[in-house]
Order: sequence, then C-alpha cells, then structure tokens
Amino acid sequence: MKKALLLSVICLTLWNCHSEPTLQKYFVENTENKDFIAVDVSPSILNIKSQKLSAEQKQALQSFDKMNILAFKITDQNRDRFDVESEKVKTILKDKKYQELMKFGSGKESASVSFVGDDEHIDEFILFANQKENGFAVVRILGDDMNPTGIMAMLSVLKDSNMDLEQLKPLQQLLAK
Amino acid sequence: MNKLITLAVILISNAIFAQGAFDKFDGQDDVTSIIVNKKMFDMMGKVKMDASDKEAQQYINLIKKLDNLKVFTTKSTRVENEMKAAATQYIKSAGLEELMRINENGRNIKILVKSGSKDTQVRELLMFIEGAKNDDTVLMSLTGDFDLNEISVLTDKMRIPGGDDLKRATKGSKGPKGTK
Repeated sequence: MKKALLLSVICLTLWNCHSEPTLQKYFVENTENKDFIAVDVSPSILNIKSQKLSAEQKQALQSFDKMNILAFKITDQNRDRFDVESEKVKTILKDKKYQELMKFGSGKESASVSFVGDDEHIDEFILFANQKENGFAVVRILGDDMNPTGIMAMLSVLKDSNMDLEQLKPLQQLLAK
Repeated sequence: MNKLITLAVILISNAIFAQGAFDKFDGQDDVTSIIVNKKMFDMMGKVKMDASDKEAQQYINLIKKLDNLKVFTTKSTRVENEMKAAATQYIKSAGLEELMRINENGRNIKILVKSGSKDTQVRELLMFIEGAKNDDTVLMSLTGDFDLNEISVLTDKMRIPGGDDLKRATKGSKGPKGTK
C-alpha cells in the first residue's frame, strides 16, 4: 500500500515536472533576446529591517521567494513580433495550471492576474500586462506556500517598506519612449 | 484528437454557461472590461480578518458567496447597441426578473435578478445602464448565491461603475415593496 502511494507520488511529481515548462521555458528562452528586458528581483528590494516585523509578516515574507519580470519593449524594428510574442504568452496562460483570478481590459491595454497552486498554498502569481503601444510585461512572483492572509500581510509590509528601486532600473527603458 | 476534445469542451461549456453571452465584449477595442473570477473571491474569502471587525467579517461572508463579476463599459454607440441586444436576449433566455428601473438625466438603468430559493436570495444580478451622451454604458453581471441585502456591503467597499444605483436598488428592496 505504502509503495503504491509512493509510486503515485513519484509519478505525480514527474508528471508535474513534465507539464511544468511553459512559462518558465518562455522566460529562459527570451531572457537573452534583445527584444526583451529581463529583471529578477529578490526580497531584498523591500529593504526591510526584519526585527521590526510581526511574526505574521515575517512568515509571509519568508514564503515569498523572488520576482521575475520579463518585458517586451516595442521598437520600430520589432513591432510585428509583438503580436506573435504576446499571443504566445496568452496561450501559455490559457493552460489550466494557471488559474485566472481577474482581468482588466480596455482596447489598447489589458492586464490579468493568475496563480498556480491552490487557494491556500500558492506557488506562483503571474501578472500579465499588455499595452499595444509600448509592449507587454509578464511578472512572476514565486514563492513557497504563499497564502491569502500572508499576501495581505505582505501588502502591509510593502506599504512601510523602503523600496530599493535600484533593482528595477532596467525597466525604465520600458517607459522611456 | 486532443484539440477536438478541447474544442468540444469549450463549445459545451459555452452553451452551459450562458454567461458566454457577454464574453464577446471582452477584448473589444471600445470596451473596458473587468472580470473577476470565482477563484479570486474564494481566495479573498480565505483571508483571515480581525474577528472583531464586523464590517470586514460581513464583507468576507459575502465574498465567499460570489462566483463571477463581469463589468463591461463602453462609450461607443455601436457596442452599446450590441450590448443592449445581448442583454435583452440573455434576460429572456436566463429568465431574469426586473428588480428596478430608473430613468434620470437621460440615463436608463435597469437592474434584474434571478432569484434563488428565497425571495431575497439572488443567483444573479444583472445591471444595464444606458448612458446618455458622452456617458459610459455599463453592463454588469454578478453571479453567486447571495442575499440582496448584503450587496450594499460590496458597493460600499468596491468602486464598481453604477455602484450607487445598485445601492439604491438593494436598499429599496428592504422597503415595503420588497423583491419579487
């Protein structure tokens, strides 16, 4: 009985690994691409003095691992690639592994928030923002067992944090026209 | 083969979820859309709030009962007409009942509900606001299994288009006329 259980766990894990690639792969494939801007952000960006945090906030912060940003910046040369690439991301996000939480759209712009995991054990958040004139950005917030209460705690931490925006510098290119 | 199955599933689920009636507005150029899925409400409902904060508790309780929120707004006359047609058709097919109708300053507001087991129990709330000139036309659909009286909590907390009108409607339902 135990063996069977173990076997099924292994199978599941393998199967999970197998179905994993998509967004991760897309990130890896395009990090070096010059049409893209890739930024990895570690929790140190928050610049928080951990002794000031409540236990709850600390726990929340620990569940947060890192944030990967991949942005496609439209230039005159790559305008036609934009549709292709944004379509690729959309297709990836349609996989049922990515559960969509909400989305917003208004013609030229759109944004969506999805997550991976289940309600109380979230492995990953994906923010996808798309702007027809400037480009698109995919933000992956990776963590280990994040939960809704923790996210609320995180937000309260963010409010008080003294963000080290140096890490986001590369993104300025996205805004500069 | 796989694709075929997926396609079939999509087609069937579209037929089952009559909500699909409005999905075509999502992503149109002249339309601003906000879509909140059940997962979001589920997740928000899981947030542990201070138990002494009554208002927050009320809010969480309501959130847990919600399924989907879809809001489409537009300024384009063409889309407005399409919305009107889609709404009219949907109201017929889904058997929605009119809860309230407001006409003021050239705006035409209709609020409809699909009742559940009890009179005030609502399975779906549909609001259609025909904007006057230069005003937004709003189509909003909220599904779940909630009490009409609870909605005022939501309109207080969330800034959704037409929230004020909705508030009046739901407040009104406490009055002598009640909901049918």
